[in-house]
Amino acid sequence: MSAFLSVDAISKTFTVGKQTLSALGRISIEIERTEFVAVLGPSGCGKSTLLQIIAGLIPPTSGRVMLDGKAVTAPPRDMVYLFQQYNKSLFPWRTVLDNVAFPLEIQGNSSGRSVRQRCLEYIAMVGLSGSEDQYPWQLSGGMQQRAAIARALAAEPSVLLMDEPFSAVDALTKLELQTLLLDIWAKHRLTVVLVTHDVDEAVFMADRVAMLSARPSTIASVTDIALPRPRDTIATRESASFLSLRHGLLDTLLKKDRPGPTPDEVRVTMDGAAHG
Amino acid sequence: MAVEVGRLLSVPDTVGTARWFGRLRFPILRTRVTGFALVVALLLLWECSARLGWMVSQNWPPFSLVLTATWRGLWSGELAAPLAASMARMVSGYLIGSSCGIVLGLLLGTVRVLDRFVTPLIEALRPLPLPALVPPLILFLGLDDALKIFVVAFAVVFPVVVSTVGGVRDIDEVLIGTARTFGASRARTLLRVVLPAAMPSICAGLRISLSLALVTTVVAEMIAGSSGIGYTILQAQYGLRPEEMYAAVLCIAVVGYLLNMGFVLLERRILRWHQRADADV
Amino acid sequence: MDRTGSRLLPGLVSFVAVLAIWELAGRYRLVNTVLLPPPSMIAATLWQIVRTGTFLAPLGQTFLLLFVGYALACGFGIALGIAMGRSEPIYCFLEPLIELMRPIPKAALVPPLFLFLGFGATMKVTIVALAAFFPILIATIQGVRGVDRIALDTARTFGCPPVRMIFKIILPASLPMIVTGMRVGLGLGLIVVVLAEMLAGEGGLGYLILDMQRSFAVRQMYAWIVILAVAGLTINAVFEFVEARAIPWRSK
Repeated sequence: MSAFLSVDAISKTFTVGKQTLSALGRISIEIERTEFVAVLGPSGCGKSTLLQIIAGLIPPTSGRVMLDGKAVTAPPRDMVYLFQQYNKSLFPWRTVLDNVAFPLEIQGNSSGRSVRQRCLEYIAMVGLSGSEDQYPWQLSGGMQQRAAIARALAAEPSVLLMDEPFSAVDALTKLELQTLLLDIWAKHRLTVVLVTHDVDEAVFMADRVAMLSARPSTIASVTDIALPRPRDTIATRESASFLSLRHGLLDTLLKKDRPGPTPDEVRVTMDGAAHG
Repeated sequence: MAVEVGRLLSVPDTVGTARWFGRLRFPILRTRVTGFALVVALLLLWECSARLGWMVSQNWPPFSLVLTATWRGLWSGELAAPLAASMARMVSGYLIGSSCGIVLGLLLGTVRVLDRFVTPLIEALRPLPLPALVPPLILFLGLDDALKIFVVAFAVVFPVVVSTVGGVRDIDEVLIGTARTFGASRARTLLRVVLPAAMPSICAGLRISLSLALVTTVVAEMIAGSSGIGYTILQAQYGLRPEEMYAAVLCIAVVGYLLNMGFVLLERRILRWHQRADADV
Repeated sequence: MDRTGSRLLPGLVSFVAVLAIWELAGRYRLVNTVLLPPPSMIAATLWQIVRTGTFLAPLGQTFLLLFVGYALACGFGIALGIAMGRSEPIYCFLEPLIELMRPIPKAALVPPLFLFLGFGATMKVTIVALAAFFPILIATIQGVRGVDRIALDTARTFGCPPVRMIFKIILPASLPMIVTGMRVGLGLGLIVVVLAEMLAGEGGLGYLILDMQRSFAVRQMYAWIVILAVAGLTINAVFEFVEARAIPWRSK
């Protein structure tokens, strides 16, 4: 009960017209401080919804989220949500530097040279030095995501929530960013919840992988990833334990989709509203 | 890009217009030299038709006389004074109307209840042609500056409100969510996120209403004439002084052109991030 | 059904509220009822005008002028816009002239046109056509120039001849833009037709409104304004209806 971040019997029902759609059904998970948890699930299972509820961006239908003993009802100050659509999440009218400075402005310590200095440090941390005066459109997708990460770090959060953060960058950039994020996570002693549909990514990055079932989602299984750290982009992925973990997760993920449709799935299809 | 397109019509030529005509034999046809030649030719035609008596009419002074009348009018103050008076009214009305429009637009765009109750009223009022409002307003405001400033402000409000609301509506939820995840307050989100994000759309409305403000000034001065450039045009027409009338029209046209150009330059500065983002897509 | 209801209801409520406040303000002498008669009195006058059918002739006159001028502007504007958008020589030939003409507030051209065309229908049709022409032309040029190359190339790979390309690809693709210009043009046309009627003094709604004000028939003046407003709303609604039909693929 004393976990740092606890998700307590969260459920979420959406109303579309006259139909109600149950997206999440009683999800509970406890996350320790500085833990890296990946939430894995088929697309459309409500992973993003879960993450947005944790972030305090949308309210759950029932249940509650507790951060460090306090209930989350609005976005808490030391928790930052990293949107999947980083290109839309960066403010296009601000340069990289000004984007990174945004959380500092909000927190009210936006004065003087020290702010600029701090922002530049974060920008350096994500490897964007030299691009601080550029506008988002001038950056590649990977660089935009780096900028978004730098901005999230500038808020000095203890929890980072990430919604499929690397799903829209190319394969090589994705590998680079994963390593970068692991470094930052270790250095800043962050607690991370990562939502992804990429088994490889989940196993490579997380301490634990929580697998969601199809809608209405519940936690189907939680797998401990006992791979040594620091993890290496190439070597870790080639290790036998990585492969067997990956095998196991992929197996359950794919099998779950294969057998004949469950009553739930049939209803979802008939509703025709099973997106997002 | 195949050709430097007009400054104000600056649209990328994605179609490759020239392509359709195959390879052009005369590259000069792809420059605006021909266009300027046409303008000069038409002006010459005007001049000659009046001077050489091809077109005998009291209403058709040669272009050169119009130019000298303009010059004289500007120096003697006969044109300069009404022009200045008109501009002062137009600018005040424009500033009042556009600031009201932006504030109202932000409110309507963000406050649901207000939007549901007030927007239908605005929609109902909008199609009413402005000149029709001048006669009743004369009853309340008289014929002086107050009337004209009010009419201009009234004309300007609508496009600005509509474009501001549109801009606010079109803001991506991710932007708002981002502001929220960093804990930005409602007021701060409005000023720091909603306003700049809606700025391109607001500017579009401001530009439309700038030319509308000019038209409205002229219209109001013609209907409720006591002074101003619109009144001058009408008086010159009644008094059968065509050079003066054309000179006044010329002044208004130049002012309209300069205003639009000034606005485009200003907009480019304000929206530097946006124009580039467009070009990139 | 209940969705349109819930959309219309608040508007209706605030409309009724405004009328009620206006009425009460008149009753309790908070405003000068000579200058601003309460809605009930205006409604009575309005009913008089509507019942006797007196509104038909001026309304018909004004809107006939508007439609003829507007139709001319649409025809010429779209045709020339396509030509200028597609052909660079034509574009270069006419662009400077149009750039010179465009910034003239068309209202300022009403007096010069009086001199040449008199105060009758020709003059009003001309000024409406002039006012509506430029926004339609500019929007058409922009729309045609903005047509996606890929759409054109796709048509070309299917062997679509150039002339059919205009009707099959270019016109539909630039239609949203053209319609935007047409909307601006309609608004300007309505403004200048009312203005021209006011200044020319030969009948029509604009003339009546100004004339009533000058002869201090305040109630009649408001009644005619209401008629003009309703007519304006109606053509706006018709425009939106046609627009929705013509561009069903445009998402709201």
